[in-house]
Amino acid sequence: MSTKEKTWWWVGGVLIILYCLFPIAWIVSLSFKTTADLANKSFLPSAWTWENYSTILTGTASDLFLPALRNSFGICLIATAISCLLSMFAAYAIARLDFPGKKLILGTALGVAIFPVISIVTPLFNLWRQIGLYDTWPGLIIPYLSLTLPISIWTMSAFFREIPWEMEQAAQVDGATTWQAFRKVIVPLAAPGVFTTAIIAFFIAWNDFAYGISLTSTSAARPVPAALGLFSGASQFQDPTGAIAAAAVIVTIPVVVLVLLFQRRIVAGLTNGAVKG
Amino acid sequence: MSTTLETSRGRGQQPPTPPTPPPPPPPGGALRRTSDWARRAPLLPALVFTIVVTQLPFVVTLVVSFMDWNAYYPDERGFTGFSNYASVLTDVNMREAILTTVILTVVVVLVSLLLGLGVALLLDRRFRGRGVVRTMMITPFLIVPVAAALLWKHALFNPEYGLLNGTLNGIWRLFGSDDAPQPDWITAAPLVSVEVALIWQWTPFMMLILLAGLQSRPLDVIEAARLDGASTWQIFRYMTLPHLRRYLELGALLGSIYIVQNFDAVFTITSGGLGTANLPYVIYQTFYQAHDYGRASAAGVVVVIGTIVIATLALRTVSTLFQEENAR
Repeated sequence: MSTKEKTWWWVGGVLIILYCLFPIAWIVSLSFKTTADLANKSFLPSAWTWENYSTILTGTASDLFLPALRNSFGICLIATAISCLLSMFAAYAIARLDFPGKKLILGTALGVAIFPVISIVTPLFNLWRQIGLYDTWPGLIIPYLSLTLPISIWTMSAFFREIPWEMEQAAQVDGATTWQAFRKVIVPLAAPGVFTTAIIAFFIAWNDFAYGISLTSTSAARPVPAALGLFSGASQFQDPTGAIAAAAVIVTIPVVVLVLLFQRRIVAGLTNGAVKG
Repeated sequence: MSTTLETSRGRGQQPPTPPTPPPPPPPGGALRRTSDWARRAPLLPALVFTIVVTQLPFVVTLVVSFMDWNAYYPDERGFTGFSNYASVLTDVNMREAILTTVILTVVVVLVSLLLGLGVALLLDRRFRGRGVVRTMMITPFLIVPVAAALLWKHALFNPEYGLLNGTLNGIWRLFGSDDAPQPDWITAAPLVSVEVALIWQWTPFMMLILLAGLQSRPLDVIEAARLDGASTWQIFRYMTLPHLRRYLELGALLGSIYIVQNFDAVFTITSGGLGTANLPYVIYQTFYQAHDYGRASAAGVVVVIGTIVIATLALRTVSTLFQEENAR
């Protein structure tokens, strides 16, 4: 490649980084600005402050933010665990069993995955209020399962299909019991798939907004994205921009950490599921 | 741990190995099969449970959509047939919402697909720091959608301290002028504002899919074409683009499915005002403000039908991809 060409690729690369990261850098910078500093028209804060972070973590907005953070972690972790467990069984059945309607079930799973959330929210709202699940953890865990399960089944069965199942029989021939063969041979092979699925499921549940804002009303179960939508300033005329920026940074951190740690697996998982079918 | 983003396949390798064909039915006939079922049938309830959990709410929606059910008039609850659907399809607001949804989806999908293609082509080349750029590139996709919408609303579009107007100021100051235009972006172009925010979030997704497509190209054939004197543009136009077609289709379809039902961005950036209310937002309003459960449900069913139409196309694309893999 000629030097000139190389320069152009560099320019392109830098432009992409700017396009993607400049807005993010900006919100991080905003989160460290004082209220007076917000409109100072310079990129970096003139005086760095933790004010916004203390507002949402210990100050006036902490009643809204902290319970929401706890709810989000609890609800999403539980939903992820359940959906991994269930989809493990389902994917195992799909990968190992030859039964009529298998394609139909996978198709339905995908169909459910693309189901508009808003069409499910409305009947759930009435149903949940009647049976007392409105504004509770289970009241969000169940709909989150409907978001995460289809994708989990889909991703996990893409992984399970690639597992060399003959090895299970080979282990049994060598004298292992069915359980031992499963436990010692299949589980280690399946672990990466389960792990990837867990991350994707957590990501989806963590990002949800429509269920969160519609099926909760108090800090008893309100998740973080919904709380973010409800942030308001100290007075009606004051935009809570600093606090929102700080909250947005905090909310995004878990996802970014997860993905940066495991991105290789996630990309493999997504392309396996999406492109290889 | 590595900070680079590498796909599982290296460059220059052959296309992915086709998935192993399903094992032939074990010998032994009916007896063997029964024992297989006995061993594995307990796994099926998980499947059944999944389908029940996810399909039951829809059945409720379907039933309610045929009912006259408004929380403000509790006595008039009853079945009315198709009248909710008639009012959804004839109501001016609803029709505008349908149009908005279509425009929003088409614009966001097309633009992010184009940008994603450009970025993918760029990242397909070898240059120093490629891994870092690729990692950076996916960050917008990782931000919680509501946080991203808030980011655009408060940190970028804001007329007083938004990044866009700040940049305008900076550019004007370079040329020694102090009165740069300071438009109020969201008021001036509400729908475009929502679209830009969504495009920013969806470009990485398209890029990932298209990059996977680019890396599955048979490089030896391309090398042969280059030796035969094909120009870069010819190679792109007649070899890369046809190869990418399925990946483009897949990206477009998956993107449409999710953007048709987008709710967060519209809710956060404009609260559905100024002609940006898409169908999901109108449903939310009908339900939580007008408390007209019957009509909200009927509109919900309309969204479902729209999604199913797109999804059928998506499934077909995926399955043809799958068959091609098998045929190779």
